[in-house]
Amino acid sequence: MIIEGAIIYSNLLVLLALGLTLTYITTNVPNFAQGSYAIVGSYVALTLLKLFGICPYLSLPVLFIVGAIVGLLTYLSLKPLIKRNASVEMLMIATLAIDLILLGVIGAYSEVLSQIVGSTQAKFVFANLDFSIFGFRGILFVSTLVVILLLFGLYLLLYKTKFGIALRASMENPSLAQTMGIDVEKTRLFSWILSGALAGVAGGLLPFMQEIVPATGDLIIISIFAASIVGGLRHISGALIGGYIIGISESLITYYLAMAFGAGFLVYGKVVSLIIMIATLLIAPYGITGVDWKKVRKRLFSQ
Amino acid sequence: MVIRMIKIKNLNAGYGKLQILFDINAKVEKGKITTVVGPNGSGKSTFLKTLFGLTKIYSGEIIFNNKNIAHVPPHQKARMKIAYLPQTNNVFADLTVEENLKIAGYVLDKDKVKERIEIALNIFPELKNILKRKAGTLSGGQRQFLAMGMALVRDAEVLMLDEPTAQLSPKLAEVIFGKIVEMRDEFGLTILLVEQNAKRALEISDNGYMFVSGKVAFEGTAEELLNHEKFKEYSLGITAL
Repeated sequence: MIIEGAIIYSNLLVLLALGLTLTYITTNVPNFAQGSYAIVGSYVALTLLKLFGICPYLSLPVLFIVGAIVGLLTYLSLKPLIKRNASVEMLMIATLAIDLILLGVIGAYSEVLSQIVGSTQAKFVFANLDFSIFGFRGILFVSTLVVILLLFGLYLLLYKTKFGIALRASMENPSLAQTMGIDVEKTRLFSWILSGALAGVAGGLLPFMQEIVPATGDLIIISIFAASIVGGLRHISGALIGGYIIGISESLITYYLAMAFGAGFLVYGKVVSLIIMIATLLIAPYGITGVDWKKVRKRLFSQ
Repeated sequence: MVIRMIKIKNLNAGYGKLQILFDINAKVEKGKITTVVGPNGSGKSTFLKTLFGLTKIYSGEIIFNNKNIAHVPPHQKARMKIAYLPQTNNVFADLTVEENLKIAGYVLDKDKVKERIEIALNIFPELKNILKRKAGTLSGGQRQFLAMGMALVRDAEVLMLDEPTAQLSPKLAEVIFGKIVEMRDEFGLTILLVEQNAKRALEISDNGYMFVSGKVAFEGTAEELLNHEKFKEYSLGITAL
């Protein structure tokens, strides 16, 4: 059961960390609103469920589009700062501001929705709506399938299409990419749209495993950053590796600590992610994908 | 009659508020090699970057095919058959050699890219056996061959090269100079070259400019520059003659 929960959580973290890493590589923006993007998706899924009776799993394509729009709007609002070569710190503060705006909008919207449906919608879960196969929760299969489809799609896009190669080129060296005739602006826009879309989908799946309140995004952002940093913010594959390391460690270590010392430890789950992140930064500042493994192997074998 | 490819009029440019180039007037002739030489910090590389749209232009004009392209963004200049090869980071390290060549033809159609890659591989046969290797794993010479091969794939009319022999051995530098001449003679490319190895660069060039402190100190045919007393004086501070 705990392993099942850890895999589900990791799958969702991968979706969210992928978006964060993507926008960081292309625009150098550490997006603190990434967690709230997901919660926008959660509330849109709740709205579709409450007002139209649409199962949250079926609303994933809509959440993809809504998330994409949120990503697009964020980029458009940050663009003037990016154009003026704003520092990373300034961009970070700007995304914090966007996060606070989103938090306020989601909070207000939950009140409006509560009035429309006639019961409080400030906190909710979808777990009771889930199906099960051989005793395993449906979200385990759905989230895994979404991650597999996403990775396959990303592989095809990045390695088999002209635009994908251009996107990789822009990520590595935007200035050189421009000299090839690549419209770097388009690739940046695309990365923000995709980042928002992935978060929107993750948001639709999140209530199947935990209770959602308007501020849930601000809690989950810690794990998203930890996943991206541990994996390495310079490579997309870092989000995948970091997502599973952080997701599984956070779930398992917190669980065993709670078993040993009491349920009170469950509250401090995010501390596990932060400790792993700090340890990684001390040992490998550029994350796991930033390590020169050939050098490490050489050093190990020479000793 | 001399056919002008690019004409630069009263160009003032720099980075942000830091002006580097002052009132530059120059011309680049079609099918010729024009070399810009000058001491470190004279604005040679900034000049190329400015022509390609990578710096801030305060005033002046860059006339290309009778149009002022001073404020055209770099990705659109690439579509106007102008190619720029930076001094460093001129290949995508995370992409394979083949992907680098393909992306160089980003603005061309598929068949044209294939045709141009074949041409590039004929000029740089050294790349044929390393097509699947990541560019980040190549030696300095191989990287430079790839970068120049990429410039050829672009099917450009004007090729701007920023110190293509930097950090290469004299033997390899000589090979690169040979390839530059080949690109002019075989494909009729118009080449604008910035080089630290001033004497050798001027020897293969048709025309030359000497930059000092962001201004054109003197200009003329490559031969005139090579024999100019001032050039010899300046050159002593640039490279061994």
